Amino acid sequence: MMNDSLYLNLSESIKQRKEVFLLTITDCDNHELIGRKVLLNPMGEIYSTSPFPPSLQQMIINYSEKLIRKKRSGTFTFSWNGSMVECFAEHFPVPIHLIVAGAGHVCEPVAMIGKSLGFYVTVIDDRKEFANRDRFPHVDEVVCQSFLHFFQKAELTAQTYILLLTRGHKYDVLSLQELLNRKEKPAYIGMIGSRRRISGVFEQLKNDFPNESFDHFFTPVGLDIGAQTPAEIAISIMAEILKVKNQASGVSLSTKFHKFTRMGFREGAILWNNFT
Amino acid sequence: MEQLHLIKRTMEIRAAGENAALATIIRTKGSTPRKTGSKMIIFPSGRIEGTIGGGCGEAEVIEKAIEVIQSSNPAKHIVDLTKGLFYEDGGICGGIMEVYIEIVLERGI
Repeated sequence: MMNDSLYLNLSESIKQRKEVFLLTITDCDNHELIGRKVLLNPMGEIYSTSPFPPSLQQMIINYSEKLIRKKRSGTFTFSWNGSMVECFAEHFPVPIHLIVAGAGHVCEPVAMIGKSLGFYVTVIDDRKEFANRDRFPHVDEVVCQSFLHFFQKAELTAQTYILLLTRGHKYDVLSLQELLNRKEKPAYIGMIGSRRRISGVFEQLKNDFPNESFDHFFTPVGLDIGAQTPAEIAISIMAEILKVKNQASGVSLSTKFHKFTRMGFREGAILWNNFT
Repeated sequence: MEQLHLIKRTMEIRAAGENAALATIIRTKGSTPRKTGSKMIIFPSGRIEGTIGGGCGEAEVIEKAIEVIQSSNPAKHIVDLTKGLFYEDGGICGGIMEVYIEIVLERGI
């Protein structure tokens, strides 16, 4: 089982946005070893309070290499000093950082869903009546600052997802100007708005960024599910973010299934099982 | 992050001097309701937190986990969801999952 120091180290890694693997010996001829845990970082460094014998530790590191590369959890079995060892390597990825700029109506359900999806959620607005803890008690960070200053300094990585839900197109322009000037690129930038507002924003940005195609922005934001209310819009937006994160198609799963069932139930089911 | 939340809960349960078991899916094959790494805490009363997919498979794991709590020995359990298609009791996902069950109170590693 986990001890306090191992747990602190694990949660601290995630808080510092560093991915980590938790390794557990789940089976072994030597019963003493079953249940023992260590942490492993992608550089192959081990943290533990009760280290394994060095030769066992080295084998575990070697066998974890493939999982580190693929960034996924898995279980491997090997033979060590003539005894069988099974080890479960559990991947703790860096959580997605969702930055929501504009703390209005849509921001509320977006922040709530973001939290329940396990994202690290930051809400930013330049008005303290909106950007405050009373309105967003559950998010990780509420920042009251100008959009311009925030996006000059915000950490941008492949795990950063940015939503511009501001109250006016001039704030979108200011935010995007800063984001486009940055060398680091986030995974996703979504911007809410009508066709008119969006073309207005791009019109203004064109002067400063004549070579920018704006193709990589998700705007209008969200999947086409006919969303109208703030809650519906939030689901449409978060579904799009999951689609991007999981590199999925975003179409109804039944569409694919119908194709398989048309081939006949049994044959179609076999293909379907291979597919999933 | 759900995984981390349940691990945190096991730390709280232990700090409170209670006992419980933690079940984790460590391998899956075919179509299973939840994927590798999904966790569930089981209390001696049979109460659970989290889920490894519900249904009969989960009920099997709860039963096994109570044995683990009583014996203090970690165990593995294989949930076979490939047979149930024509039964009423669910389990029609079509896959197999291997679950590792350990106790929250331990000999102090």
